[in-house]
Amino acid sequence: MRTGSPAVEAENLVKTYAGDIHAVKGINFAVEAGEAFGLLGPNGAGKTTTIGMLNSTVSPTSGRALLGGRDVARDPLGTRAISSVVFQDAVVDRPLTGRQNLELHLRLWGVRPAEGRTRLAELTKTVGIADLIDRPVDTYSGGERRRMEIVRALLSDPEVVFLDEPTVGLDTRIRHDLFDVIATLRDRTGVTIIMTTHYLDEAERLCDRIAVVDAGTIVACDSPSNFLASIGIEVLEVRADDTHRVVEVLRSHGIAPPDILVIGGTVTASLRTTDGAHVLHLLAEESIHVRSATTRSPSLDDVYLRLTGDRITVSPN
Amino acid sequence: MTITATPPTAISVQPRPTPSRRVRAIPTLTMRRLTLSVRNPRSIAVPVLTPLLFALVIAPALANTIATPAGRDTYMTYVALATAGLLIPLNCMFSGLGVIVDRQQGAMRELLVAPIRRSSIVVGNLVAALAITALQLVVLIAASALRGASYVTSLHLLWFLAAALLFAILMYGMAEILATRLPSPEEYIGVLPVIAIVPFFFAGTLFPITSLPHWLAAMAKVLPLTHALALFRYGLTGHSGVQALHNIWGMSNVTVMASLSLLVLALFTIVIFTGAVRLFAKAGTS
Repeated sequence: MRTGSPAVEAENLVKTYAGDIHAVKGINFAVEAGEAFGLLGPNGAGKTTTIGMLNSTVSPTSGRALLGGRDVARDPLGTRAISSVVFQDAVVDRPLTGRQNLELHLRLWGVRPAEGRTRLAELTKTVGIADLIDRPVDTYSGGERRRMEIVRALLSDPEVVFLDEPTVGLDTRIRHDLFDVIATLRDRTGVTIIMTTHYLDEAERLCDRIAVVDAGTIVACDSPSNFLASIGIEVLEVRADDTHRVVEVLRSHGIAPPDILVIGGTVTASLRTTDGAHVLHLLAEESIHVRSATTRSPSLDDVYLRLTGDRITVSPN
Repeated sequence: MTITATPPTAISVQPRPTPSRRVRAIPTLTMRRLTLSVRNPRSIAVPVLTPLLFALVIAPALANTIATPAGRDTYMTYVALATAGLLIPLNCMFSGLGVIVDRQQGAMRELLVAPIRRSSIVVGNLVAALAITALQLVVLIAASALRGASYVTSLHLLWFLAAALLFAILMYGMAEILATRLPSPEEYIGVLPVIAIVPFFFAGTLFPITSLPHWLAAMAKVLPLTHALALFRYGLTGHSGVQALHNIWGMSNVTVMASLSLLVLALFTIVIFTGAVRLFAKAGTS
C-alpha cells in the first residue's frame, strides 16, 4: 500500500518520434483515485501517445509517468497489474468466445479462479452481455464487442482504467448506451478513469475534469462546469456579410471581448453581461445586415474554440 | 502553455506479480495459441496430412524410383527423415503468421499491457508451435515406420530429440523476427519460402551434400538444417547419420562430430531466439 500518491501522474511527459515528430511536448497532470479525467482534443493532438506512456506501450523521450506512485518505465509489470486499457479499436481474439477472451484476461492478470468467475458473472450481467458470452466474438455487434472489452478491462479490479476513445466508430444509440455502462461501472467500482476523446458531449458527461490537449500540450485543465461557466451565459452566432463591422460593434460596446471568433461568415461571441436580443438590436441600429442569428447555451466546443482557435470534431448526434 | 492540476489522494497498490504468476502466463498463452490454431477437426487434420503424405506416398515413391530394391527401405528412411527438415521449418514459420494476425486483428495490444513479461508471449507461442511440430514428427516417424522405414531405437534418440527441439526453436525464432519486422501477412508469405524451403534443397536432404558442387557444399555446411538433418539421421538410423556428420566435419569420432553439430545448432538457436525475444519486446514499446 502506498499512501499519498495520486492514482495517475504525468510529469513533464515528452515524446518525440524519429523524424523530429513532437507528439507530446511536455504534459503534466495528476489524477486522484476515483476521478474520471478526460483528455480532450482533435486527432493527432497527442492523447493516445500520452495514454501509451501511461500504460507502458510508449516509452517517454523524457519525463515520468506514474501509476499509484510507481514509475511506469521502471516498473512496467507492477503498473500494468493495477491498470487496464480499453483500446480505440477492437482488441480481441474474434474466433474465441467472449468467455474465452474474458478468462484469458483473468488468468493474465492473476485473478483467483473463483473470484474471477464471480466478477465475470456480475459484470457481464451488469452490462447486459451475460447471454452472449459463450458465442464467438466474431458474431457480436460493435456495441456488444465494446461492452465486452469494458467488462474485460474491469475484471481484474484495476485501480486505473484507460479508455482510449471508447466510443469511436459506434452509432449514437450505442454510444449513449456505453455512456451509461461506463458511468454505472464507475459508480460501482470507484475505479479511476483516464479517457481520451474528441467527442465533447462524452467528455462533459463522463469526466470530473478535462484537460484540453492541443498540438502535444495541455492548454487548459478544469471541470466541465467551470469550463462552461468561463464561457458566459449564452453564445450568439451571427451570420453576416460584413463580419468585421459586427466585431467592431460588439467590441465598441464592450460585449464579449476577447471571446469573439470569426469563422467564414459567422461571428461567434460568448455573452456574459447581455443577451442575444440586445446585441441584435445594437447591430440593427448600426444598419448591419444580419442574414441569420442564433443563441444557444455554451458548450465545450466553445471552450475549445476559445482555447485553440480551432473547432474539434462534433459528436455525431 | 502547460497546466498542472494536482488534487491527489491516496490509493492502494496491488502487489506486484510474483515470478510464479509470470511463469504461469506461459501455459495460458500457449493454450490461447493452441485454441486459436486448433479450432476444429480440419485444423488438426491439415498438419497431420502432410507428414502422412510424405511418409506413405512420397518417400516410398522416391525410393522405388531412385534406390535399388536392396536399398529401398534405407532410402525411404532417408527421405522420411529429410521430410522432418521440411516439416519443422514450415510449421514453425506458418506459426509466425499468428503473430501478425494478433497484431492486426487480434489481442496483441491486450497482451502487451498485461502484467507479464513480453518474452512470455513469445515463449507461449513457441510452445504451441512446438506441440504441433511434435505431433507432425510423431505422425511422420510412425507412419513411415509402418510403411517400411527402419529406425534404430536407443539412447541415440536423444540426439534426434535435442536437434529437433533446437531446430524448431531456431525456426520459430526466425518466424518471430520476420513477423515482428514485416507489416503484413502477404509480405511474410513472400519471404517464408526463402527461409523454410530453399535450404531444404542444399542441406543433404534428398542426397548427401558431397553430391553438391564444392562451393555449394561449403555453404551447406553453414546451414543449421544440414546439422539438424545429420543429427536426425544419427539419432534415428545411426549409419546414414554418421556419414552425414562425416560429410560436414570430416572427422572419425562420431560423438565429437555430433556434439559439434549440436553446438552449432545451439549457437544459432540462442542467437536467433534471443534476438527474436528482444526484437518483440522492443517492438511492443514504441
